[in-house]
Amino acid sequence: MIAAIRSEWLKLRTTAVPWVLVGIALLINALLILVIFLSHDNGTSGPGGGGAFVSPGYTVPHTTQQLRNLVGSGFQGYILALLLGVLCITTEFRHKTVTTSFLVMPHRPRFVGGKLIFAAIAGAVLAVIMLVATVVGGGLTLAARGGSFSDMIHQLPAVAPGMILVFALFAILGVGIGSVLTNQVAALIVCLGWFIILEGILVQLVHSAEKWVPTGAATAAANLTRGRGSDFGLFNWWQGTLLMLAYGLVFAAVGSIILTRRDIT
Amino acid sequence: MSGRPPTRGVTGERSPGGVPSCMPSAIEVHALSKRFGPVRAVEQLTFEVPEGRVTGFLGPNGSGKTTTLRMLLGLVSATAGTATFGGRRYVDLEHPIRHVGAVLEATSFHPSRRAEDHLKSVAIGAGIPLSRVEETLDLVGLSDVGRRRVGKFSLGMRQRLQLATALLGDPEILILDEPANGLDPQGIQWLRTFIRYQASLGHAVLVSSHLLSEMEETVDDVVIVSHGQLVLQTTLAELATRAGTSTGMRIRTPEVARLTAALAAVPVAWRQVAADTLVIDAATPEWFGPFAAQHQIVLYELVHERGSLEDVFLSLTHGFDAADPANMGGGQAGHAPMPGGPT
Repeated sequence: MIAAIRSEWLKLRTTAVPWVLVGIALLINALLILVIFLSHDNGTSGPGGGGAFVSPGYTVPHTTQQLRNLVGSGFQGYILALLLGVLCITTEFRHKTVTTSFLVMPHRPRFVGGKLIFAAIAGAVLAVIMLVATVVGGGLTLAARGGSFSDMIHQLPAVAPGMILVFALFAILGVGIGSVLTNQVAALIVCLGWFIILEGILVQLVHSAEKWVPTGAATAAANLTRGRGSDFGLFNWWQGTLLMLAYGLVFAAVGSIILTRRDIT
Repeated sequence: MSGRPPTRGVTGERSPGGVPSCMPSAIEVHALSKRFGPVRAVEQLTFEVPEGRVTGFLGPNGSGKTTTLRMLLGLVSATAGTATFGGRRYVDLEHPIRHVGAVLEATSFHPSRRAEDHLKSVAIGAGIPLSRVEETLDLVGLSDVGRRRVGKFSLGMRQRLQLATALLGDPEILILDEPANGLDPQGIQWLRTFIRYQASLGHAVLVSSHLLSEMEETVDDVVIVSHGQLVLQTTLAELATRAGTSTGMRIRTPEVARLTAALAAVPVAWRQVAADTLVIDAATPEWFGPFAAQHQIVLYELVHERGSLEDVFLSLTHGFDAADPANMGGGQAGHAPMPGGPT
């Protein structure tokens, strides 16, 4: 399995996919950090004005919740971890490299399994990259504006493990969906359609569905080290983790069965 | 060369009690069938591929060659029958590409990946030492472009890269599906030498083609299929004997219509191969000369042909293909009207 994971890493890094995703992730992260600082500005400073000199109590995050929001500002990047998982498997079909992959590893559930483990690691690494970028970018901005860098660092243990877990879970879900929908365009449309549009509509219509949908389960899982129980009617962290894992693995199991029966012509 | 001793595990198992038989089979195909919905792509196909020889897998386009090879490699599931390497299915082999190397059509590469990175990813996945990457690139003549992205490769270069992929694991069995596609004449010559060299190492090579002429200088044995069924498995020498006995007449005439009308009255088979040229099967000049004189048909050319291997191949597969002329390897074909029948 180690060989399969090393092979996957080589395959992934020799395409543009990871670098584009990391680029997008960092860009969005930077924008979100900007939004956090602007939204705490309370309208007391204009662009180019003397924001840094306004009373820190109003202009920079300083409460526990504000600092956690800053550290976890990249959390929404889980959607990129999902895409990473989807691309990890659908690219093989798009470029027909799957023929070679199946010659190397003819047992198809094992092929999907290797992708699952690899994507989970890659998703976690993406979370770490975003956390590092946030600590550096957000921390510098915070310090420049008179906030406490060390206060921010203190919130890292509460936020980081949950975020890393959620990214890994979404990458697993991505591989699962990609193994069922091997058409890359179809898989991407379904993923973005569900997570950006349909899931929100469903939750609006049926409030009790919130804890069951992937985003609700993932939000619950993110509470891993926050020391909070279920909030907003969600599951607690391990229930959410199991539910997310179940979604990913059920898709992957269905995908493995479909792939095993599929003729590669 | 590879630092690893050649593994004979797969095929070696066949000799019972350690006594090697003179020509053990590397590949056995038994009653193999495949249906795609209502289409019977391959039906009850049985043949064997011996070690140390090159076996040509021949048949017109659409005769089920590619489907058969893909069933051998576990890419397409068989509806019935078995395809095994020393008794084991491809999917049951451990690190299969160390035993069986394959070049298939419609296999592709990620366009932005460098050739050597493609080979490395395969080598790592199969536990093959990375030193083989350089060796195989060198072997197929791509060492200068190993750092180039595959998207920039020509068809011939991709074909060579596929061959390099097949050779990475130093396999004792090679399966090549129309490997000459996209190669220039020098490339084809190189491929022939390469295939013969592989056989000289004791490796089994199964190579498909729709042209026997392409394979004449390369293969030892032939497996001829048509419409998914076995037509003949024999040695090339045996096929050549058949060719030698098959004779015919090639006639070029400005009066094709009159000639065909005249031929309709006699029990011979013929086919038109060009606007002004007919080939009459199993005819002799001693018979045709007086026949043409009797009908006062002008002749430009009259050639007594000893049948070539290609003719034997065509006539063997032709009978199977009569229902579907679109599948003919080449040439317009038509059987003579029934002797004495209506014109």
